[in-house]
Amino acid sequence: MADTFGDPKQLFGKPTPRIDGKAKVTGSARFASDEPVGNPAYAYLVTSRIAKGRVTAIKLDAAKAVPGVLDILTHGNVGGQAKPAKAADGGPNTPTLDSDQVMHDGQIVAVVIADTYEAAREAAGKVAVTYAAETPSATFGSKGVKVASHKSRSGKPFPKKGDAARAYRAAPVKVDARYSTPPQHHNAIELFTSTCEWDGDHLTVYEPTQAMWGSKAAIAAQLGLEPENVRVVGRYIGGAFGGKGANAYTAWVAIAAKRLNRPVKLVVTREQGFTVRSWRAETRQQVRISAGKDGRLTSFFHSGQEVTSRPSQYAVAGVEVTPRMYACPNIDTKVEVVHADRPTPGFMRAPAETPYFFGLESAMDELAWKLNMDPVELRRINDTRDDPVTGLPFSTRSLMQCYDAAAAKFGWSQRSAKPGSMTDADWLIGYGCATATYPANVAPAAARLTLTPDGKAVAAIAGHEMGTGAYTVVAITAAGALGIPVDKVKVLMGDSDLPPLTIGGGSNNAASKAHVVAKAAGEIRKRLAEAAVAANGPFKGLDPATLTLKDGKLLGPSGQTEDLKTAVSRVGSLVEVYAENNPEGLPPEAMANTYKGQTAMLRGGGRKDHSAFSFGAHFVEVRVHRLTREIRVPRVVSAFAGGTIINPLTAYSQYMGGVIWGLSAALFEATDLHQAQARYVNNDLAGYVIPVNADTPSIDVIMVDEPDNTTNPLGIKGIGEIGITGMNAAVANAVYHATGIRVRDLPIRPEKLLAHA
Amino acid sequence: MDDQTKPPLRDGPSRRGLFGAFGLAAGALAAPPVAAAPTGSEGHAPVTLSVNGREHRLTLDVRTTLLDALREHMDLTGAKKGCDHGQCGACTVHVDGSRVLSCLTLAISAEGRKVVTIEGLAKDGELHPMQQAFIDHDGFQCGYCTPGQIMSAVACVQEGHAATDDDIREYMSGNLCRCAAYPRIVAAIRQARGQMGAA
Repeated sequence: MADTFGDPKQLFGKPTPRIDGKAKVTGSARFASDEPVGNPAYAYLVTSRIAKGRVTAIKLDAAKAVPGVLDILTHGNVGGQAKPAKAADGGPNTPTLDSDQVMHDGQIVAVVIADTYEAAREAAGKVAVTYAAETPSATFGSKGVKVASHKSRSGKPFPKKGDAARAYRAAPVKVDARYSTPPQHHNAIELFTSTCEWDGDHLTVYEPTQAMWGSKAAIAAQLGLEPENVRVVGRYIGGAFGGKGANAYTAWVAIAAKRLNRPVKLVVTREQGFTVRSWRAETRQQVRISAGKDGRLTSFFHSGQEVTSRPSQYAVAGVEVTPRMYACPNIDTKVEVVHADRPTPGFMRAPAETPYFFGLESAMDELAWKLNMDPVELRRINDTRDDPVTGLPFSTRSLMQCYDAAAAKFGWSQRSAKPGSMTDADWLIGYGCATATYPANVAPAAARLTLTPDGKAVAAIAGHEMGTGAYTVVAITAAGALGIPVDKVKVLMGDSDLPPLTIGGGSNNAASKAHVVAKAAGEIRKRLAEAAVAANGPFKGLDPATLTLKDGKLLGPSGQTEDLKTAVSRVGSLVEVYAENNPEGLPPEAMANTYKGQTAMLRGGGRKDHSAFSFGAHFVEVRVHRLTREIRVPRVVSAFAGGTIINPLTAYSQYMGGVIWGLSAALFEATDLHQAQARYVNNDLAGYVIPVNADTPSIDVIMVDEPDNTTNPLGIKGIGEIGITGMNAAVANAVYHATGIRVRDLPIRPEKLLAHA
Repeated sequence: MDDQTKPPLRDGPSRRGLFGAFGLAAGALAAPPVAAAPTGSEGHAPVTLSVNGREHRLTLDVRTTLLDALREHMDLTGAKKGCDHGQCGACTVHVDGSRVLSCLTLAISAEGRKVVTIEGLAKDGELHPMQQAFIDHDGFQCGYCTPGQIMSAVACVQEGHAATDDDIREYMSGNLCRCAAYPRIVAAIRQARGQMGAA
């Protein structure tokens, strides 16, 4: 295997500035809505003012009278022309123009197209929609919601082992607590956009999507097109965080462009973005956890309820992960969905772990207090080499190395254990910690790699650059494996006409890309070596396996070299390899399904002979004002063991960004609901609070070295999501230490502390 | 144009959501006379804009924001639309040397003023020290807010609001970064501050 992919220590680990950095700092990086198209018309969405009922009539006269208006799409004139869009889980979704039924506030009910953006916006405000409205159900506890049990994604039952209820009853130390997390929206700074252009039967969609081939397949299916006639282009994605997969409006933009025989460009407003795409659903959880007096866990029960839309079964079901964290003989878990009159939720950064680790890691802290035990030591006592759910060994598990590294840097030993015992003038100081984790996932991928005699390479793959440093990952891999400098590699991505990669989600893309690009480079090396040993020259008659590519040369075992010009020219005017990589452990059809836009991932928690997860530990200092209860976080130290780190420079940024997301989830973020209208009321960036620069503390990220060639041949575990996980609990635990107040309902805002003052 | 004839462009530091501070409300720029009443098609007017040292003669719907004029009528797509409400800072450009939210500025009100966008920051192919500092410190991830961050950062230094890390954090808080590159943005500004001062 190592021969196929190379040695990760050789390939990776050097901090490398982004190869697309210059494009991003000069404004020349083309995000989807920046792509030039000829003479576009502009679309503007009209969204519903009710959350439940039917559209009974739409009057268009006033809108059509606006100068420049070209067309208005409604259920009445185009409703049957596109199949309904699917939800993130592939299941049913709430409708748009395909139905006259309204299933949530802010549902798309018309699309106005005009010569200018200004005219489209004005006309959209003049579309007069009348409804037969019914009383909507907003969330947990609202009249009319429907509670249903949920099945896991794999179809297997949720984790259960031993007799958790009995062990709990018998235990000397126990915690039984309920936690809740709010609705959240990704709010990437790039708005949702779609620009559709037809050339005969061929549709090009410029769109920020984290699933190039997935979006292509979805659009083709909705419009009844052959997938090869659909091209999706998004060379730069302005943040995605799980919110930018396939969507329901692109089909209508495409239909509008067809009707007008003209490109149509839609830029969804910030407000509309809260309802026309997915979001993170609110959860209610119960954790019942018990231990012996020595701190060893004897039982763990975790249940969750999650809101979803009326038609969708979507749930994140974090209880599939939480019982894997600590050794425990008795486990029971459960998930229910609560159908309400809301848009369909979907993936958002660490979808399962973010809400459910608030429950788990808060409860662990509560248990540590009951045991009168250092919370770090409670984790140590319950550390395990084997996955408690499956009994399989973890490929690597560096949880306590992370705790120890971060605790030392943070100065955890300086902590005075008693709540409220550390102060600085009017500020109460609290220290808190929590565990982070994320499964190591890898997916099938294909790539085309070309090496030319001048020592330059071109790597092409339908990857997704959404801030992860994806272009640079590909360049580093190709450069390392071909023995040429990073700046000699040109990377083509963000285009579904390129070889497929699965959805940029589940932190799989870096691992998936690196393996296939390394494999392609290995094949190039082999071709050059085989030709070299067969020809007259320095390598004649040698074993081709002993030849390597290094420093822009073909290198022999005794130091013989040949320049690339000679080595490449021997096989042709260039050497090009199209490689596919289907990770070992996936069925053979997984590769083929990737060409169909389907997600086929080898998941860290669903493997046959081991479990593969990244681990981490957060340490947080909070300061709570004695009187006003203002909460500030001056510093965070987090350590992560994420296997092979491809580029420490950008990895640091991703971890740090994740940590700040976790801080945001702890203190700021929540989408507020009008209960009677089932409507979001803080649907813009002034109302939906995310950290600004002045809110952001010193973040110290430690990357713990962790070779792991069990997870996958290059040991790449993925890093985009783990940073956020557990941070919400670490902050809550620190707030408890500062104040003695346990906040079990996020976000932790001063009023929740004042209520206890 | 004589500086005294211009209204103040900004009046102090701001946090997110305070439209009046970084933004130019349409009314605030009413002072320079706009010669033309709408001509041509209904609600449209001829506008001449000076952007990055180049004159652009356009006919625009009078409601067109400076941001949309740049993006949709001049193919200057460096300035980004993140909210269209002056809440995120992604659209920040310089107007007569001051940082301004182009989404809250009507294009016609920028007539007679010097607009500089991210595309105009590098000189003769050489990156501005702030651009290089953002690359060196990885002061971004997705890059979408970056043009606005950099334009804001250059102005922040020029205003004298980058003396300390706390100042930088405060005076850069009108530019949201959802990837949360903030600590590295502060580091980048710290680096470029000295280099700009020498320039």
